Amino acid sequence: MHPGSPWFFDPFVLPFSIGVLWLFIAIVWKWSKWFAGLPREDKALIRHNFFTARTFRAIKEAFLECLIHRKIWKTNPMLGFMHMSLALGWFLLIVVGKLETSAYIRDAVNPPHVHVFFRYFFPEEPAAYIRHFNYALLMDCLLIFVLCGVALAWGKRLYSRMMGMKRTTRHTPFDRIALTTLWLIFPLRYLAESITCGVHDSGSFFTGGTGDLLASVLPGGVLSAMEYPAWWAYSIVLGLFFVAMPYSRYMHIFTEIPLIFLRAYKVKSKPEGSTFDNFQIQACSRCGICLDPCPIAADLDINNIQPAYFLRDRRYGHLTAQVADTCLMCGRCAQACPVGIDQATLRLSSRVAFARQSSFYEAPRYEFLASTADRSEGTGRVGYFAGCMTQLTPSITRAMEKIFAAARVDVWWADKNGGVCCGRPMRLSGNLPAAERMERYNTELFRKHGITTLVTGCPICYKTFTQEYKELQKMGIRVLHHTQYIAELIAGGRLKTSTLAASYAYHDPCELRGIYSEPRYVLSHVATLTNAESHEKDRVHCCGGSLANLTLDTAAQKKIGTTVVHNLLATGAETIVTSCPQCKKSLQLSAGNDQVHVVDIAEVVARAV
Amino acid sequence: MTQERILVIGGGIAGLQAAAALREEGFRPLIIEKSPATGGHVARWDRLFPTQLHAREVIDTLNTATDGIESATGQEIVSLQSDGTGVTALSATGERFEGRAAVVATGFDLFDARLKEEYGYGMYENVITSAELEAMFRDGKVTMRNGEAPKRVAILHCVGSRDEKVGQNHCSKVCCITGIKQAIELTEAVPGVQVTNFYMDLRAFGNGYEELYRRSQIENGVTYVRGRISEAGETIDKRIQLKVEDTLVGRPLRMTVDMLVLLVGMRAPKCCSTFGLPTQANGFFAPRDPYTQTVASTTPGIYLAGTATGPKTIGETVNEAVAVARRIRMDLKK
Repeated sequence: MHPGSPWFFDPFVLPFSIGVLWLFIAIVWKWSKWFAGLPREDKALIRHNFFTARTFRAIKEAFLECLIHRKIWKTNPMLGFMHMSLALGWFLLIVVGKLETSAYIRDAVNPPHVHVFFRYFFPEEPAAYIRHFNYALLMDCLLIFVLCGVALAWGKRLYSRMMGMKRTTRHTPFDRIALTTLWLIFPLRYLAESITCGVHDSGSFFTGGTGDLLASVLPGGVLSAMEYPAWWAYSIVLGLFFVAMPYSRYMHIFTEIPLIFLRAYKVKSKPEGSTFDNFQIQACSRCGICLDPCPIAADLDINNIQPAYFLRDRRYGHLTAQVADTCLMCGRCAQACPVGIDQATLRLSSRVAFARQSSFYEAPRYEFLASTADRSEGTGRVGYFAGCMTQLTPSITRAMEKIFAAARVDVWWADKNGGVCCGRPMRLSGNLPAAERMERYNTELFRKHGITTLVTGCPICYKTFTQEYKELQKMGIRVLHHTQYIAELIAGGRLKTSTLAASYAYHDPCELRGIYSEPRYVLSHVATLTNAESHEKDRVHCCGGSLANLTLDTAAQKKIGTTVVHNLLATGAETIVTSCPQCKKSLQLSAGNDQVHVVDIAEVVARAV
Repeated sequence: MTQERILVIGGGIAGLQAAAALREEGFRPLIIEKSPATGGHVARWDRLFPTQLHAREVIDTLNTATDGIESATGQEIVSLQSDGTGVTALSATGERFEGRAAVVATGFDLFDARLKEEYGYGMYENVITSAELEAMFRDGKVTMRNGEAPKRVAILHCVGSRDEKVGQNHCSKVCCITGIKQAIELTEAVPGVQVTNFYMDLRAFGNGYEELYRRSQIENGVTYVRGRISEAGETIDKRIQLKVEDTLVGRPLRMTVDMLVLLVGMRAPKCCSTFGLPTQANGFFAPRDPYTQTVASTTPGIYLAGTATGPKTIGETVNEAVAVARRIRMDLKK
């Protein structure tokens, strides 16, 4: 063994080297399988977008998210620092260690164990080397950086609220092995390097200083006797970590990178499922940031259905319908997720997979839609699609009748003229063919009546029309929720309103995510709005009545809604207003039937017309 | 010996019968009624199932039985306390009533049909409740708002009963047979009218109920469709268009009727949450046990009778009212 040869070896490097090899094979195997299994159109998307600016944006995102963990910083700075110090610190230890080794042995080609165990192979740096650059100092700083992260991780286990987290994830056995070894890796590295520095009187301030201290406390023979076992221990924990990694949550470290690139190339999860789902599922680090925002965890103390657990169960193949079906799909978790995993579509594809097991899945349903004599009549450029939920709240339809009349809009009423359910309830329960059956029927109806603007009374239909009815866009049909339509009428001066002497607290429906300015514009135009910032817009709590929930009973739904009612009434408002008939119904139930009045935005406007 | 005073809270049939029975047991009952007159819901009804007896006759019998018993009307009790030796009730107007014991015979409230917004009650002029139909029967003319006689009437069962969506999970027990009775009476009141009952289950459990159900079909031509109406819309001529799934055939069905009658269920009244007594899941007062202590509350000195503990028929209510008097005598005069 002499400087200049890259093939340094000692038996203690074996656990590490075997681990690295194993990890490498596992990653190559997983990625190639998933890439090969991608649907044809997704592969075409990758080819099409590869040589574009998207790749550069993905590189930037990968750097910001995988190393800096920018989104976690936004959730909680201390949590962000913990993740960054572990990720960026380790990454820099590898990069700088590699540079150090290559610079020292003057050969860029060397196996990874050389720089990982550099201090063992080169206990003393030559003076000439220090002159160029003090790598030892830099490596010591980086080690401190990583150790800070490890210390914070220990602290988080003891008291997670320190990092703003009430709940932390419960781990699988593999996660526990990986976690324990991860926690030991850097303290052992610190110990092994310090002992070597102590024995050889070398090293920079941190490892060298600790080495000096150890040498002064321990008899000389003891320290030298400890050196070799310490390096063995360090190698073994590294090896164990790498072996456990492909089975554990730490697979996210490598999976998030291709996910960022694929996402940049517009590859998406589909309700039918694809191998792309694996990239999303294994990119979940089970950090637990999704746990606290979940209304089901907060109000019902159900702690096994949140994305961290749903994705875990799906990854290890023990997903139950109960877990897949218990979700409001309110989107709070996705909003919080630092990896940006599209959990709603993944959950949907799981539901589809369960629905496919039923013999009814492909059976023709709703055949009467075709056989019913077409009784539809009337035409109009503007079509109003109240939808099932608005049909169940006729006061909203009445209010819209008044608004349309006041604005002198000639409307084609879809529901009175053959319109059927938009299909979302069927879709959310995984019954895609049934949902598509309704989509085709409604699309034909809109085509037949030459609709150019389609106004919906229900955000559920709105979401379906904008996201699932691909034909509507081709036909040039503009889809608006009535909140947006009323805002346009008022802004365009077509609807004259008075001001009501009443105060309202507005509840943002989950299904109208992102449509925040229109309802506020409309309501502040006709009345006083008393919303509290901490509970609105992206931070709104679901009313509990979501159609996406297939398991929670009314009592449970009511409990979730009660939180919303409490938050809204705390603002001092007399009346609760929302823009979703389903939210209206569930909030009314939660508010108690007599005390509080819950209305739709259309009812408020109609009163002011 | 001065007779011990027993407060009877509620002057419906339970309260009236309890007061009469208490007097016979040697007590001095005081009936406290929140509305200006006693008689409760039954006094507002026209005829009763299963024999179509006039409700007036039941009320007359009870009025005779309670003749001379003290009563305080227009007094809504808002709080009720027992200290083991006596009870104190306070009314909304601040009046104080004291007695040796109290019978809570506060009955039920009718479900507010406006909460099932999809049926358009309060919005569509020809959607009425079963109570309003009884009032029409009493007035002797069943008409639509425009004064015309309806040709087609739909009766919808379980409005505010067995419906989780409005927080009313319990069965109101008397509506099925009331729907059958009202359907028969509609065909009697409006010759030629076609009546359809929409139900989820027909629970014709009592004596003579099943027979009445059968008779309504054979003699009165009433039709029954299993399926809850999913939505109701008003047509231009103020008729009601119904959408419903006939769940026996498994097909959706559309029907336009002149009048929609909502069979409103029984819900727990407000006092169930203000008296400080334990309640059941359905919101009504909880008896000490549902087997041998059906008329006692968990608080000594406070007793329960009639629909205060959940939906009941008139016969069951009257039985409980007699039983409560007997139970009080057994407890107090050991």
